[in-house]
Amino acid sequence: MKLTIDEVAECLDVPSSTVERWIRQGRIPVSKSSGACFFQKSILYVWAKKHNLPFTLPEEKITQIDEKKSDSLCNVMSFGGVYHNIRGNNVDEVLASSVKNIAFLDEDGQQMLLTKLLEREEMASTGIGKGIAIPHPRMPMDETMEEPVITTCFLEHPVDFNAVDGLAVFVLFILLSPSVKIHLYLLSKLAFCARDASFVEFLKQGPDEKALLERVERLEKSL
Amino acid sequence: MIPRILHIFQNTPLGRESLLQAAYFSKQLEASLIVYIPQHIKFLMYFDNDVVQIDLDPSYLYSPDTAKDHAAEIIKEAGVEPLFLEPKHFTASSLPDIPADFDYMVCPRSISDLSAKIGFGYVGAKVRNIFNAARFPVLIPSYVYKPWKNIVVFYGGSANASNALKLGFQIRKETRFPLNLFTYAEKAPGDYRKEIINMGLEDDLNRQVDNWRIFESGNLVDNLYHVPHDALVILGAFAHGLLRNIMFGSKLEKIQAALANNLLVVGPKYSAPI
Amino acid sequence: MKPWRYPARWALFKMDDRLLLMFIGAIVGTCSGIAALALNHSLHFLLEALSHWRQHWWAFVLPAAGAALSSLFLEKIVKEGAGHGVPEVIYSVSRYGGLIRLRSAFSRLISSCLTIGSGGSAGPEAPVVMSGSAIGSNIARFFSLNDRQRVTLVGCGAAGAISSIFNAPISGIVFTIEVILGEWTALNIIPIAIAAVAGTEISRALQGDQIVFSPQVFDIGMGDIFASIGLAVFTAIASIALTHGLRSMHQISGKVKAPLWIRAGIGGSCVGIIGLFLPVVLGEGYHFVHTMIEGNFTPGLAFVAVACMAKILATSLTLGWGGSGGIFAPCLVIGSLTGLTYHRMLSAIWPSVNWVNEGCYALLGMAGLISGMLQAPLTGIFLIVEITGGYAVILPLIIVSAISATLCHYIEPSSFYLKELVDRGHLLRPGTDARVLSDLSIKELLETDCVCVNQNMPIREFIKIVENSRRNYFPVEDDATGEFVGMLHLDDIRPYLFNRMLYDAVLVGQIMNPNVETVLPDDDLTEILHKMDSQRLFSIPVVVNNRFVGMISKATLLDKYRKELMVQTTS
Repeated sequence: MKLTIDEVAECLDVPSSTVERWIRQGRIPVSKSSGACFFQKSILYVWAKKHNLPFTLPEEKITQIDEKKSDSLCNVMSFGGVYHNIRGNNVDEVLASSVKNIAFLDEDGQQMLLTKLLEREEMASTGIGKGIAIPHPRMPMDETMEEPVITTCFLEHPVDFNAVDGLAVFVLFILLSPSVKIHLYLLSKLAFCARDASFVEFLKQGPDEKALLERVERLEKSL
Repeated sequence: MIPRILHIFQNTPLGRESLLQAAYFSKQLEASLIVYIPQHIKFLMYFDNDVVQIDLDPSYLYSPDTAKDHAAEIIKEAGVEPLFLEPKHFTASSLPDIPADFDYMVCPRSISDLSAKIGFGYVGAKVRNIFNAARFPVLIPSYVYKPWKNIVVFYGGSANASNALKLGFQIRKETRFPLNLFTYAEKAPGDYRKEIINMGLEDDLNRQVDNWRIFESGNLVDNLYHVPHDALVILGAFAHGLLRNIMFGSKLEKIQAALANNLLVVGPKYSAPI
Repeated sequence: MKPWRYPARWALFKMDDRLLLMFIGAIVGTCSGIAALALNHSLHFLLEALSHWRQHWWAFVLPAAGAALSSLFLEKIVKEGAGHGVPEVIYSVSRYGGLIRLRSAFSRLISSCLTIGSGGSAGPEAPVVMSGSAIGSNIARFFSLNDRQRVTLVGCGAAGAISSIFNAPISGIVFTIEVILGEWTALNIIPIAIAAVAGTEISRALQGDQIVFSPQVFDIGMGDIFASIGLAVFTAIASIALTHGLRSMHQISGKVKAPLWIRAGIGGSCVGIIGLFLPVVLGEGYHFVHTMIEGNFTPGLAFVAVACMAKILATSLTLGWGGSGGIFAPCLVIGSLTGLTYHRMLSAIWPSVNWVNEGCYALLGMAGLISGMLQAPLTGIFLIVEITGGYAVILPLIIVSAISATLCHYIEPSSFYLKELVDRGHLLRPGTDARVLSDLSIKELLETDCVCVNQNMPIREFIKIVENSRRNYFPVEDDATGEFVGMLHLDDIRPYLFNRMLYDAVLVGQIMNPNVETVLPDDDLTEILHKMDSQRLFSIPVVVNNRFVGMISKATLLDKYRKELMVQTTS
């Protein structure tokens, strides 16, 4: 397999001017044909190993980056669904009735999730203020989960959640994610939306799924 | 990075014209102009696989105390910040090394001669050595300062001509001056277009070239009259074998001898950035 | 594209470029061997042609004319500087991958021939090394080889030249490794050895297998070995005297307001006048070395001591005032005179002790001086063993060489060849810190992922930028002109971060640091690091034309530095 100077620079994580200098100084094995330089991957691999240099092909890197990428908030929310009039008079009850709406979990899964959510609530309230709570498990869900999911639940009546500002909570965003990284990423996006006062007013009206997602999409774009 | 232009300053009226031209060039390209005021009669330039010694004319060392002020004044007037090159390395105590990693160099037709000795159409041997060894294009300024308002690229189909073409596209992008392509046809005119398309430059060709004149008849030198008087002429210097150090190749030799314009010469070691 | 110009692409040499280097190394060794012989023969010719004039009282103008001519030749015709050229070779090996001008391949040969042939006190070896190296470099250039290969071929040229002129292959190899390249690797040793063999072989083929000085048999006793320690002290003193003499003469001549060739002429005529009284100081002086080794040098202690000092003076006058030539041959003469002086002192103090023949002390003295001047003990030892064809003196030889080199190193930390380079910071031996730093350029280290901010931007906007950036440093620019006005560190906004009232009240331009140290992209990395160290900075912005181009930070530097070091040191 032949590599160009730029690809090799990428593989070795050095600027291409360094690779050009190494060619000039005769430090790197290179083949030349009609003025252009190219490298044999296998020879270069041996060379890098001999000099103890890191050598990663660009493709490998791309997959690493892909992992980090997450879906947009809007997609994640539409996947989880939006539910209204969730019943309950305290934290335990609302969470228990909300969890029943998470369709992709079976009953055992729902029960386990509820335990985890309650554990997390005991540590500290997930009510982030302005009547919004983001319940989530302390640790990411088990490996079976591949995509993050946010299930939005509008409560029948506001419930005291021990939130930071003491306001009763009227909406829950149950955030389930496969890794901590994605969790934090979505959390910060949600928090950003919640900072917008007009969005909170909009939420208080208990909008339907379509309107909510549209609004979120708009907000996300302004980010 | 901002492109960097090297100029060797000669503190004479003739040198002033060159510097004015260099300042104009760097202004157009938004490049930084680095001026070397020689302290020694000779200097070395170490290129990738060549070392060129340049022996200056004694006129380059005239009145060194005013040189810096003169140079700074001219450059500032053109609206460019003057930067001066102080050689850091010396091969011998009176033989400084001038770095060779610039993006352009401004170089008179002949480095080592007084104006009286310069014949028209003559390019000194040292300057030719620079073309052949340098990775950067060399600007040969016209004898008298003349701002250029458009670009002419001579395209003759060789590897170097394509480098000249790419350089032309780049300068056109920087300066927005119109770009004219001149070809003195030796084969069917369609072939030239095909060549350029094969190099993947079709887009640039369509978007950036304002006029392509292909001369199918007539003497080369006669046709040169069509080159606008206020054009920057870009051409590739390439000749084969032993003659390389003396001649550019017959066609280019004729062009440079007949044109009084500013010439931007692309040597065989130059590799276009695109 | 002519395929024969690019041997590096031949299938045979593609397998391993060592084959290519061996092949070209042999050619280079042969060529530089021939160059060395050419100089040697023309020197002999010139000496003989001028010999019948030496009797006259006005003979002192001969060295003057020779030195002036050689200086004129160097300055006006080939337009090169004076000097013997070895520092130039080491310089180009250090900094430019051994690129040497083609004209150096012959310029020093002609100029030193004029200087020495007319009677100037200098040696032909350094000029031969220079031209051998230049031949190697230009052959490498012709074949478009890369820096590493070119440096090896420069070494081949030097090895071939020394091997040929002394008929001494090992000295050629050792001199090249110890003085010119400063590196002993598996890649360069074989081509250099082959070049040394080729150089020796060409010299043997063209002028017969003759050992420079005829071998002698010495019976060395225990006492002599101890006495050689004392001799080492003497040779060290002589080396230092010669080094200082050369340098001070150079300074004195620098103050004379006269064209270079007149200066060289003045130096030459002084040498000529000394030569009228002490002919031993003239020329390369191998003839006298010969008689001294054979023990046939009759004059007494006082004469020898004066001759020794006179030779030091004459060499300083010749080279310091602008003559052309090396110090190798004068070192041998001064060394043997020192050895002789020492031996006669010993005999005068302890006449009863049965000292070995004085020729042996002359040998030891030569080794001591070569080791002291070049600070290359191995070169001294092997050279003397080879040019005298005798292994018998090896034990005291080792002692004298080692001690003399160490003493000289103690007083003068860098040798005669390297002094100038070290002073200007140009000695970059492979695998050293200076070498790695000089190879890395600002362009390679520049971090361009910084986000520029505007100086009239309120903090509120700035915080948004901070959220999406990965760096702690933010260059601040002027909105209108785009000029760099200062730096803002993340720490600078910490006091305002939790005070939302101030988010719109405070502008970036007010909290930034306007007086930051900046560097230019052309600056030397050593200087930049020095700047960062003295100011305790972790990173420094690169600014050119008042425009920010990027940051240099120690973290990136470490990463690149380490990679560079790994690439350079493992072969």
